[in-house]
Amino acid sequence: MVAEPSERAREFETQDLLLNVGPQHPSTHGVFRMVLSVDGEVVKDVIPYIGYLHRGAEKLCETMDYRQGIGFMDRTEYLAAFNAELSYLMAVETLAELEVPERAQWIRMILCELNRLSSHFMFLGAFGIDVGVFATPFIYAWREREALIDLFEEISGDRMMYAYFRPGGLAWDVPQNFKQRVEEVLKSSEQGIKDFDGLLTNDEIFRARTQGVGVISAADAIDYGMSGPSIRASGVPLDVRRDEPYLKYDEVEWDVITGSNGDVFDRYYCRLLEMRESVKIVRQCLERMADTGPIMPEKMPRMLRTPPGEVYIRTEAPRGEYGIYLVSKGGNRPYRLKVRSACLSNLQALRDMSVGQYVADAIIVLGSIDIVLSEVDR
Amino acid sequence: MTNDTPDTTGAANGDAAVAAPDLSATIWPEVDRALSGITATAEKAVLDVIVFIPRDEIIDGLRRLKNDETLAFDYLRSLTAVDQEEAGMEVVYHLYSTTRRHNLTVKVALDNDDLTIDTATVVWKAANWLERETAEMFGIRFNDHPDPRTLLMPEDMADTFPLRKSHPLQEIEILQGEGMGYGEEGPA
Amino acid sequence: MNVDLFGLEVNAWADSAIRLLLIVTLMTVVVMALIYLERKLIARFNQRIGPQRTGPMGLLQSVADALKLVGKEDLRPKAADPWTFELGPFLVFIPVFMTFVIVPFVADWQVRLLDLGLLYFVAISSLSIIGWVMAGWGSDNRYAMIGGLRAAAQAISYELPLVLSLVAVGMVAGSFNLGTIIEGQDVVPLIVWQPLAALIFFIAALAELNRTPFDIPVGESEVVGGPFVEYSGIRWSMFFLAEYAALFIMALVFSAVFLGGFLWPFGDELGRWYQVALTTVKGGLFFFLVVWIRISVPRMRVDQLMAYSWKVLLPLALLQILVNGLVLVNGWSEVILLVTGLAGIAVLVAVTGRAVARPRGLVGPAPRPAAPLPAQGEAAS
Repeated sequence: MVAEPSERAREFETQDLLLNVGPQHPSTHGVFRMVLSVDGEVVKDVIPYIGYLHRGAEKLCETMDYRQGIGFMDRTEYLAAFNAELSYLMAVETLAELEVPERAQWIRMILCELNRLSSHFMFLGAFGIDVGVFATPFIYAWREREALIDLFEEISGDRMMYAYFRPGGLAWDVPQNFKQRVEEVLKSSEQGIKDFDGLLTNDEIFRARTQGVGVISAADAIDYGMSGPSIRASGVPLDVRRDEPYLKYDEVEWDVITGSNGDVFDRYYCRLLEMRESVKIVRQCLERMADTGPIMPEKMPRMLRTPPGEVYIRTEAPRGEYGIYLVSKGGNRPYRLKVRSACLSNLQALRDMSVGQYVADAIIVLGSIDIVLSEVDR
Repeated sequence: MTNDTPDTTGAANGDAAVAAPDLSATIWPEVDRALSGITATAEKAVLDVIVFIPRDEIIDGLRRLKNDETLAFDYLRSLTAVDQEEAGMEVVYHLYSTTRRHNLTVKVALDNDDLTIDTATVVWKAANWLERETAEMFGIRFNDHPDPRTLLMPEDMADTFPLRKSHPLQEIEILQGEGMGYGEEGPA
Repeated sequence: MNVDLFGLEVNAWADSAIRLLLIVTLMTVVVMALIYLERKLIARFNQRIGPQRTGPMGLLQSVADALKLVGKEDLRPKAADPWTFELGPFLVFIPVFMTFVIVPFVADWQVRLLDLGLLYFVAISSLSIIGWVMAGWGSDNRYAMIGGLRAAAQAISYELPLVLSLVAVGMVAGSFNLGTIIEGQDVVPLIVWQPLAALIFFIAALAELNRTPFDIPVGESEVVGGPFVEYSGIRWSMFFLAEYAALFIMALVFSAVFLGGFLWPFGDELGRWYQVALTTVKGGLFFFLVVWIRISVPRMRVDQLMAYSWKVLLPLALLQILVNGLVLVNGWSEVILLVTGLAGIAVLVAVTGRAVARPRGLVGPAPRPAAPLPAQGEAAS
């Protein structure tokens, strides 16, 4: 690892260099600032500053009714908007005791898993740039994402902030060539996953940069409340889709991917393998999904009101456990809406993961946690 | 009741009584045993069981919940507060056990004139940032917090608590910087 | 004193001046062509097309870039040290130009073939390091300073394998004069007898050029430009020009020393323009390899980079010299050089793979829990 300074060197009075990374910086994945206290090239302390993208989503949702709030949930996690919408609407449906028709559940599940694919492609692209490969991973990632986003645009009309789910089901039905289109997209995504695997996984320099770097133990990860691939890479098989199944995850065959070392390479590879699992899940959903059928319950009230009560619903977003704590006091608006952000909890562990490593490693560790600032800040 | 293993949050049947829903099929009996000596009451929410613990005994209670063998709540899912206006504020903890896979919600009631509570960072490290955010949004002070800076709010707005119900949403906008501001009258 | 310049008799001083002027012009044009070619190559590797609008097939892109850079405002940080800040780019740029003196393009198209050509080449090109450090220090910027120090550390570390590999070649060829070395490769190019030295030279050249995987000083996603971060406009373009000119020179030196330059395999028979084409092809091969590596390989960390140079390349270069000496002194057959060279390459590849990679941990599907888990309460969906 890093050599300790000799006794002689300790007699010199030196000052640690304060290196400011961000808020505008090519590799901080959004407006994020961290101040690294650096001794030579070794990081002594990391102080993250967040809040640059705070838009008060929780307060604003208190004044919106349940349908208007869907757009806000999209924007709290723009790379995995379907998962965010799903969480929110599952909370609303649980309180209002709405029954979502089966076909709508399959479609929701397909779209959430496709969103997971596109979000992980984004991670692979940005992570490749962090590690230093010049432009290739980013371009590969965008090639695959374009295919996925085109499909989402055909379905919902929007490339990124879909607002397609509604309380009780979907806004409108999917196009008629849905299954065929999804199959095409899956084929190109599989090729993309193979390309990334070939480009990065067995590259010696990539391995040297990422293995053994940014390690977090399973016990620490649980204590920090980490979730998603970041904690699964440390060996903890925590996956909301398996532990507390929602939608139809208990009816399809898939595996939870765990790593063993909890380092940057494991987090990267867990996500890569997870993408293959997502493809598997979507294929099974396509087989089981009916071609026609209702997508909303028959009797939907004009203005959705929820009885008083509270609920905490968690789903597995690509970054971790995206939870919605919804308190309702009757009426058509939430009384309190708390978004439990996976990235915020994962980001807390940044300091433990980076201290004692080199500056270049701190950047890679930040990239491997795969944060999206809109979810951290809401 | 359909299942009697104590470590599942089985839902109470639909015929739960109006006055005192039967919690014996849920996790409550175990929690009650673990929290013996602490005055704790429980309620049934839509999915989870909510346990109310008084403010002075909260850290003791959380510690016991974490260290108990059958409960093993080693994962703090979420920590937040709800502003109940005249009835005070409630600090809400959502706990989860990674080994036993059950959930619990713990609530602490605070009075409006005494919004202080002990920090839970001594129990879970995850509470650190979650408490910072709750503190700056609601104005609750967490005693002995290792890092009581603002998390999402700017440092010079540490006296504004946006998520309180008394903080208006659109009527008054106070912009940062000198000479900028609309003040009490609203936009000119 | 009159000398012969393309059939004309001119004063020696005028002859030098004209040759230098030609070199400078050629270099500027070639650098702009190289920048364009690199962008096109990278685009094709990324399944894009690259510059296509400025001029036919985007050929005028470099000209447009140059015009833009010339027209930019010349910024200087207020607290920048004036002397080091101003002179830094010059000290990076001028040594690269000076190395053009000894490189032969074709039979007598060069400035001067010095007897100590290779030595001159290495010595002068290492002056650029001072320029990098001056630029980093004079910019009054933490990132620039870190970048400058990293650049200096890297360049100094990789000088040694570079020099030693050239020494090994000089031993076998019998001279440091590039013209003599080229003429000596009449049957087979030197890469056949010195494959290990060629590989070490290639890797060290990548590091000297600050090219991926050794582009830590200009790590774009970390210190964003390194020592150049405070320069704008024409000053920044001087750094850029120096980098591509150095790349051009390395390509020519590599093709001259290892691939036989303009003489192998056709010799003097075909005439001058075929020799130019030959030089172009060989230099282009080097260039293509460099760009290919750039877009497919991550960046090494600074400690791994230093360890690689000192612990892997340097010992192998010394071994190569040792073997060369043994073969030359004892008069053994040259085939021994080939065999030992290939063995050396095998060792280098094996050590590189081990030095930078570790066995993978177990990442894969987790075991499924035995008992079915309860569904999430009474959630409707």
